Amino acid sequence: MIPLNHYLILSAILFAIGTTGVFLRRNLITMLLSVEIMLNAVNLTFVAVGRYLGTVDGQIITFFVMTVAAAEAAVGLALVISLFRHRETLNPDAFSSLKW
Amino acid sequence: MDASAIAFYIFAAITVVASLGVVGQRNPMYSVMLLITSFGALAGLYVLLDAPFTAVTQIIIYAGAIMVLFLFVVMLLNVPREEPAPSGVLAALGPRGMQAATVLSLVLGLEIVWALSKVNRGWFAQDAAATSVSSVTLIGTTLFTRHAFAFEATSILILVAMVGAVVIARRER
Amino acid sequence: MSVDPQIVAQLGLIFVIFNMLVLSAAFMVWMERKVCAYIQDRVGPNRVGFEGVLQPFADVIKLMFKEQLRPKAADAVLFAIAPVISACAAFAAFSVIPFGTSTTVFGLLDEPIPLQVTDVNVAVLVIFAIASMGVYGIVLAGWSSNSKYSLLGALRSAAQMISYELSYGLALAAVIMLAGSLSLRDIVLNQSGTWWGFIPKWYVFLQPIGFFVYMVAGVAETNRAPFDFPEAEQELVAGYHTEYSSMSFALFFLAEYVNMVTVAAVATSLYLGGWLGPFLPDWLAWVWFLVKVFLILFFYVWMRWTLPRYRYDQLMEFGWKWLLPVGVLNLLATAALILWLG
Repeated sequence: MIPLNHYLILSAILFAIGTTGVFLRRNLITMLLSVEIMLNAVNLTFVAVGRYLGTVDGQIITFFVMTVAAAEAAVGLALVISLFRHRETLNPDAFSSLKW
Repeated sequence: MDASAIAFYIFAAITVVASLGVVGQRNPMYSVMLLITSFGALAGLYVLLDAPFTAVTQIIIYAGAIMVLFLFVVMLLNVPREEPAPSGVLAALGPRGMQAATVLSLVLGLEIVWALSKVNRGWFAQDAAATSVSSVTLIGTTLFTRHAFAFEATSILILVAMVGAVVIARRER
Repeated sequence: MSVDPQIVAQLGLIFVIFNMLVLSAAFMVWMERKVCAYIQDRVGPNRVGFEGVLQPFADVIKLMFKEQLRPKAADAVLFAIAPVISACAAFAAFSVIPFGTSTTVFGLLDEPIPLQVTDVNVAVLVIFAIASMGVYGIVLAGWSSNSKYSLLGALRSAAQMISYELSYGLALAAVIMLAGSLSLRDIVLNQSGTWWGFIPKWYVFLQPIGFFVYMVAGVAETNRAPFDFPEAEQELVAGYHTEYSSMSFALFFLAEYVNMVTVAAVATSLYLGGWLGPFLPDWLAWVWFLVKVFLILFFYVWMRWTLPRYRYDQLMEFGWKWLLPVGVLNLLATAALILWLG
């Protein structure tokens, strides 16, 4: 059986990749995708730890994360669409009217 | 090395490479497809973790529903590719703020890896890992008893998100 | 090195099932053309082989020698993998469908192997998951072709498949509640026996509304008439595969027919008692399975050549305002009855 640490390190790497994406990319859709990577990294941790504790709670929290991710994607993409209508771009730097 | 270990490393490699591709890819369409690949491999990891139900839900909800939504938006906006990055690693990273961000996210990654690698098998009960967690009945019972409130709250959240998404994305008349 | 005969038998089974699927798709093409011809008072293909049964093979050979075209503005990578995704998704669903009881291959094996590639305990959900992956082949084909007909076909198809997937899932959920299991083999075995000695205990009699919802949603999922908007010839040339030619076109074609076979096979397992049936000995039970699947497929073809196509807004209205509420009510009623009657 694979040691738990392997799963945890994998999820840490995924989380870091997701963070990098949010920091580095200048495209709203890719940034949302990177957030999904981070959520999945956390899901992996829950399921792995749940497995090694012998409880199904980890999987159940994963379902909640999935529903929240669905809600987040729906609202986030709606925002992206309405922003795109205003500025014709997906670069977050273009939406700075409230910044001074 | 037994079969499950080989499967773990294959799935892990696919997940990491595909996720890197998502972040590195300039064409959002490819990003979405790579992310779906990554989710597929994660579902494989869930199967290895004795959680087939979660694996299937991962495919149905993430790959089958959320990603279709992303794909739809990418197709709808017909997003132009980002301008190609200037050559040279430092220049490609853009202004100083983003260079700092790169360094910081690398540090964050190292930190989490370090912290999680300290997790010790001894913290868990030795025989717990032998308990099967794959029973769908058990998941259902736990979900609708102990986590019933969270379940109801999530359904409200979904409703609110749905209404919100429609209101936000609607064209003003 | 010794080879485990069980593994060889399992691999042989997979090989047989795969080829059966390809052959059934070829047979479906022939049957479709024949049935449509008789419905329209024509003769249909009758040159190649007896009554034209070899016509699909002639078609495939013709397609193989056609030139593989790709529009200049197409996205090369996605254009190439889209038909592969479609075909893989179509074939993969069959891995969890049981065909019959178990076999020892005329006594060659020590332990019998079940006539099923694998019996996972979440089989129904696996089918649902794979069905939801099928949409990617279509969407990617439409987008990567860079053609307005393809794109419109793909957008329509994505919207349609996602809308009807919900009703499909609700119909499945009602059966799962009745059977108390997610494994298709258990669901089929739960349907054995009869009421009053002559009515078989198939779920279609307990779930007539569920069966109706499942079949309508299944037809919509496979993009067949009267819901064939993704490829409405009169409006969209050929829909999402307008720009495809040669074998990549053949893959889409194959995927469509294999998807039909899958929907029919799942309907047989969930509602019509799978391989269960009277008269035949256990080792021939799979004949019943084939007969039932064939009848549903015939119904499919019959419907296509009889009913006109809906309008797109009617399709969406029907899916969301009628089929989905009916599915929800069916689920609630089933749950209530199970609780009431124990």
